[in-house]
Amino acid sequence: MIRRTHPALSAWAWLVYAFLYLPIMVLVVFSFNDSRFGATWAGFTTKWYGVLFARADVREALAHTLEIALLSTLVSTVLGTLVGLGLWRYTLRFRTALTGLLVLPIVVPDVVMGVSLLMFYSFVRQGLERLGWTFDNGFWTVLLAHVTFQISYVALTVRSRLAGYGPELEEAARDLGATGLQSFTQVVLPLALPGVLAGALLAFTLSLDDFVVTYFASGSGFSTLPVLIYTNVKRGVTPDINALSALLVLVTVVAIVAANALLRPRRDT
Amino acid sequence: MKRAALLAGAGLLLLTGCYRVQKPAVSAPDAPITRGDGKTLRVFIWSEYIDPDLVKAFEKQNGVRVVLDTFESNEAMLAKLQGGGAQYDLAVPSNYVVQTMVRAGLLRPLDRARLKNLKNIAPGFLNADYDPGNVYSVPYQYAATGLAYNRQRYVPQDTWAEIFGPDDRRSFVLLDDPREVIGAALKYLGFSANTTRVEELRAARDLLRRAVAKKGFQGFDGGPGTRNKLLARTVDLGQIYVGDLLIATEEDENVQVLLPRQGTTISMDTLVVLKRSPNPALAHRFIDFILDAENGAQLSNYTYYATPNAAARPYLDDFLKDIPALNPPAAWLTDGRLDFIGELPSGRPQRLYDRIWTELKSR
Repeated sequence: MIRRTHPALSAWAWLVYAFLYLPIMVLVVFSFNDSRFGATWAGFTTKWYGVLFARADVREALAHTLEIALLSTLVSTVLGTLVGLGLWRYTLRFRTALTGLLVLPIVVPDVVMGVSLLMFYSFVRQGLERLGWTFDNGFWTVLLAHVTFQISYVALTVRSRLAGYGPELEEAARDLGATGLQSFTQVVLPLALPGVLAGALLAFTLSLDDFVVTYFASGSGFSTLPVLIYTNVKRGVTPDINALSALLVLVTVVAIVAANALLRPRRDT
Repeated sequence: MKRAALLAGAGLLLLTGCYRVQKPAVSAPDAPITRGDGKTLRVFIWSEYIDPDLVKAFEKQNGVRVVLDTFESNEAMLAKLQGGGAQYDLAVPSNYVVQTMVRAGLLRPLDRARLKNLKNIAPGFLNADYDPGNVYSVPYQYAATGLAYNRQRYVPQDTWAEIFGPDDRRSFVLLDDPREVIGAALKYLGFSANTTRVEELRAARDLLRRAVAKKGFQGFDGGPGTRNKLLARTVDLGQIYVGDLLIATEEDENVQVLLPRQGTTISMDTLVVLKRSPNPALAHRFIDFILDAENGAQLSNYTYYATPNAAARPYLDDFLKDIPALNPPAAWLTDGRLDFIGELPSGRPQRLYDRIWTELKSR
C-alpha cells in the first residue's frame, strides 16, 4: 500500500524548502546583476564572473582552498575510516567515551575550535623556537586543523554504514579460509565503501566551506575562499563575490548530491 | 602504536616545560626581531581599504613584496593577533582598540625619526585620547557617521531631530552598533558620545525608546543594507558611515549624506607596528609612504573615506572635495562636535551602555 502524504503537509514541506533555498537562489540570480550594489535589477550580465577570474587574490585563494580540501580529505578519510572500523569491530572498554570524543569536534562551536588551535600552534611554536626551529602558520596548520574536524565526520559515517552488520561477517570469511587481509579487502571494505566515500565527500565540502577554523589557523598571506569572502563582507558584498559564492554553492551542492547517492541504502542487500 | 603515543606524550610534556620556563613573547620588553628578511611586508587590514596601485607603487619603490590579509572586525583581528598565530608587521585597528592592544603588549612604540611625513597630519587628529603623543599609532583614515538619504525621495535637515524629533512620518534605519546609536542620541542631547554620567545616559535611553517605537523605524543595519535601501528608495533616512554611503554615489548620484549640526561620532582607523613585527624598519617606511600627501589623497580617492592628512587635501578628487560630510569644518574637531568613539571604563558605565542596547534590540 502506498501512503499518500497529506497535501497540507507537502505544501508545508515546500514552504520550508523555499525558506531554506530562496536566499541562495537570490544570491545566484544577483551574481548576474549589472549593478555594483545589487539593490535594484539593472540588467543581465556575466561580467562579474570575468572580474572574478581576473582577480589574482581570488585565484590564489581558490588554489589554496582546493589544495587544502583535497589533501585534508585524503588524510582524514584514511584516518577516519580506521577509527570508524575500529569502533565497529572491537569492543573497547571506553567505547562510549571514545565515541563521545569523536562527536566533540562536531558539536563544539567553531570559534572554540579555532581559538584553541591557534593557541595550540603558538604554544608549539614557542617550544620549537627554543630548539631553533621555526614555522609560520599557513598551509600545514590549516591542513591539520581541517583534518582534526573531518576525521569525526568520516569515522561516524563509516561506523553508521557498518552498524547493521555484526562482526560475524568477518568471522565467517575467516572460517571460509580468508586471511585477515583478504577478509578486510574483500568483505569489510566493500561493505564500508559507500560510507567511506560519503564521509570523504562530506569532509571535502566541510573543508571547502570552513571559515572560522581556517581564519584562526592560517597565518599571514594564506587565505582560502571562505576567508576571502567573509572578510569582504564588511563594506558590502561586491557582485564578483556573489559570483564566487554562487560557484562555491554549486560545487557544494554537487558534492552533497553525490554523497547522498552513495549513502542511499542498497536494495540488493 | 603504544610507543608512538608515549613518545608523543613525552614530547608534549617537554613542550609544556619549555613553555613554562619561557616568558610569553608578547610581554617581553624588547622582543627580538625574528626572521625579518626585509623583503616582505605583511599587513593586516580591512577589505578594500587600500588602493592596489598604491601597494604596487610601494613594492616597486622599495623592491619588496607586500602581503595583505583582511579581517572583518576589530575583535576578530585582536583575537588572531593575541593568539600569536601570524607574523604581521602592520595592522589597521580602529582607535578604540589601540589602548587594548597596547595593554595586551601587542604594539611596538613608533620611531618618530623614521616618520618624516607625520607633519602632514592635521594637528586636530594628532595626540588624541586613544593614544596621547601618538606613541603607538598614526591616523590612517576616518569615517564620520552621518545621515544618508536619497534626494529624489526626501531631503532632510542637517539635524538629528529628523530621527529623534517628534515627527514620525519618516522611515529610517539605525546602525547596528551600540556606541553609534547611543552616541547619536547623546549628541542630539548635546552630551559627549563617550559620557559616563548616568543621568545623561538615561536621557539618551528615553529618547531612543521613543525613536524605535516610531512606526517609521526600519531596524538596525550594518551599513551595506542601509545603502541598498537608499538606492532602492525604500527608506527616507539612514544612519551610516560616510564612506560606506559615498561609494554608492557612483551608481546613483541622488544618494547623499550629511553630518547633523549637533555633531556626530567619528571613528579613526590607525596604522600600528606590531611588537612581533619581523620587519619594523620596513613597516615604518610603509607608514611614511602612506603619510605622503599624494599617496594619502590616492587612498581616499579609492576608498571614499576621509583623510586626516591635511597636505593631501589639494590632491583629492574634486568630487570628494565638494562633499561637506567628508570634510567637516576644522572647527568641529575642537568645539566638541566630533567625538572619537572612545573606550569606556569597565564596570558601571559599560554595563549601562550594554543594558540600553539590549533593551533597544529586544524591544
